Amino acid sequence: MNTDPSSKVPQTQQGLNRRRFMQAIGGIAGGVAILAGTTHSAKAGNSWDEALERLPNDRLLDMYTKMLKSRWWEEGIKDAFLAGTDQLYGACHLYVGEEAVAGGVIGALNDDDLIVSNHRGHGHLINKGGDLNKMSAEIFFKQGGYNKGYGGSMHITDISKGILGMNGIVGPSHLLAAGAAYGIKVRGTQQVAVGFGGDGSVNNGWFYSALRNAALYKLPFISVIENNGYQVDIPATETISVRDLSSIGKGLNIPSHTVDGQDIFAVYSVAEEAVQRARRGEGPTLIEAKTYRFYDHGGMAHAKSGVLGAFGLPYRSDRELMAWIANDPLPKFKALLISLGVIDEKKAQALQVEIKQQVHASIEFARKSPVPTPEQGLSNVYAQGAVHASQMLA
Amino acid sequence: MATKPGDYAIIEGIQSEMRVNKYLTMFWQNRPTAVSPAGKIIDLGKEFGSIRVPLYTAIDEEWYVGACAGMALSGVPAIAHTPFMCPARFFDLVFNQIGKLRYMTGGQASMPLVIWQDGVGRVPGLAAQHGDAGQEALFAALPGLKVVVPSNPYDAKGLMIAAIRDPDPVVFYDYFATNAVLVDVPDDAYEVKIGEAKLIQEGSDITLVGYGPAMVEITKALPGLKSAGIKAEVIDPRSIKPLPIDPIIASVKKTGKLLAVDHGHETLCSVTEIIARCAIAGAGARFARLAFPDAPSPGSKEMITWMTPDAPKIVAAAKKMLAI
Repeated sequence: MNTDPSSKVPQTQQGLNRRRFMQAIGGIAGGVAILAGTTHSAKAGNSWDEALERLPNDRLLDMYTKMLKSRWWEEGIKDAFLAGTDQLYGACHLYVGEEAVAGGVIGALNDDDLIVSNHRGHGHLINKGGDLNKMSAEIFFKQGGYNKGYGGSMHITDISKGILGMNGIVGPSHLLAAGAAYGIKVRGTQQVAVGFGGDGSVNNGWFYSALRNAALYKLPFISVIENNGYQVDIPATETISVRDLSSIGKGLNIPSHTVDGQDIFAVYSVAEEAVQRARRGEGPTLIEAKTYRFYDHGGMAHAKSGVLGAFGLPYRSDRELMAWIANDPLPKFKALLISLGVIDEKKAQALQVEIKQQVHASIEFARKSPVPTPEQGLSNVYAQGAVHASQMLA
Repeated sequence: MATKPGDYAIIEGIQSEMRVNKYLTMFWQNRPTAVSPAGKIIDLGKEFGSIRVPLYTAIDEEWYVGACAGMALSGVPAIAHTPFMCPARFFDLVFNQIGKLRYMTGGQASMPLVIWQDGVGRVPGLAAQHGDAGQEALFAALPGLKVVVPSNPYDAKGLMIAAIRDPDPVVFYDYFATNAVLVDVPDDAYEVKIGEAKLIQEGSDITLVGYGPAMVEITKALPGLKSAGIKAEVIDPRSIKPLPIDPIIASVKKTGKLLAVDHGHETLCSVTEIIARCAIAGAGARFARLAFPDAPSPGSKEMITWMTPDAPKIVAAAKKMLAI
């Protein structure tokens, strides 16, 4: 099997950036066949049917519902930013296009398992049971938000649901999750801790500290690299010497897989195996999911209401984006569920309408939620009390 | 009661807390043992097992400080004992994660962890990387942390126990100079409240304050001050954050003079904040700061001894302020 993705891409049609990008992410032209041919990916992309056999219809429907929620909540937030009437401000990193990764990984977890997310984590939260009303209100920096307006999009947290937080710094998500996994060992429970990060999150010491020590102590830890090909606007080929980022785990004897991140069952399959290993006390797993974000790194540059994907961004080609949209995980998943008889077109439509209504209601909730009082800025620094206002304000 | 070395007193405190709190976990790069003067050995690894006390940890402070943060987020309290030459290696984790996550999550994230940072202080022969002091001020400048600096084994044990029981992250900065100070240390667990100063000596001529090794030197200077006829009021603030400023302001209003001693580098060393707050409060006093110069620690004993604020220099500075 051909393991050199660049050979499958017609060179004449590409600019330099595109060629580099395709080398980095494995190449959509090669698709699943190439991903199945990458090293150490026993189940990746070619035997997910096994996992499918074990998933009852209600679980499949739940996974699909969450994928829809993730997509349409973010599209709803995008529309609210673009409309401008709510005067939204602050960072917002959309996950649209990458939903199969969160769906597949978190679909393999139990409610009491722990996740640590990154700046692009809305999808992780929704799959872990995040409440849309509280998420929307946090985007609006309102009191009814998950973080009461202290955090915003990059920091949404729900400790009660095992969501130890999104995080604005690239890298520590893996380390904090490995620490949570150490804590699981101390408590002696059967939980698992998952750290999510992008391709940019592997290029720092914290990531390696997490891997090294998780392997040393056999921690119930899963590191998920969502390789969307770009560190902000820099192709992964420019930031690291290896193409399959799962290869980083090899030297530490960590089972490491590269999977097609647009295929929820490929992701689910390796994640489920990783979860079982972790629960058996056999240590960590590294999963790289090759995926793509349909919008810009952060913010709404070139995004349009009613149009999927941000076309015309200076650092990537529209053809590249079109190729990935053609491999959108959402219609793919829907087609599979229809073919399996889990859902029909009519029901799928009704579900989508219902979810869009929930999203709309969550934005209405956010609009009505009160803004924080200015003085709340002095609270929650410590468990008790408040810090003093500046001398000249007091 | 008996006198105990500071490291033994601290480990004794941790031992009693680990017995009560069955999840409390500690990371250290050495085997966590201590021996009392009477020969009693505490071996935390042996008593609590290799999960709660990994016998050895890699030279990777980012790992275990970050791990403690992840554990704390999920409700498992932890202690990271970090070595004296690397107080800043894990700094961003303290700055951007540990100190901020409670606030950023709207109060959801608790952070019950202690960073037990060793400090060598101004010791000849180790040179600048291994022998620095004053970096507690870096941590005190960050929001969301509590920072304590004991000056004797009694306070060290009590502050460590208070730090462990605190739901907020505490940087516990312990200098080697405090290890050998002879004070009685009870065997049982007790707390020294974080944010509470201790009046060491009452006086009416001048107020002296300082942290950790500076307080050790102030204590050594007491006989010299007395024989110079100086009635010094000495206050050990013990905590930098929260700072127990009220008793210090009251003292300075009474004496009219503050001599603030610090083994940290002069610019922005911890006592600078004390001077600023006294001045802002309108204490109307004369202020002096006796700190280490804005230079790294030299290895040679001639240089470092001359540069370090020790007992003779403290006496000389007090005399100068009182024009004696």
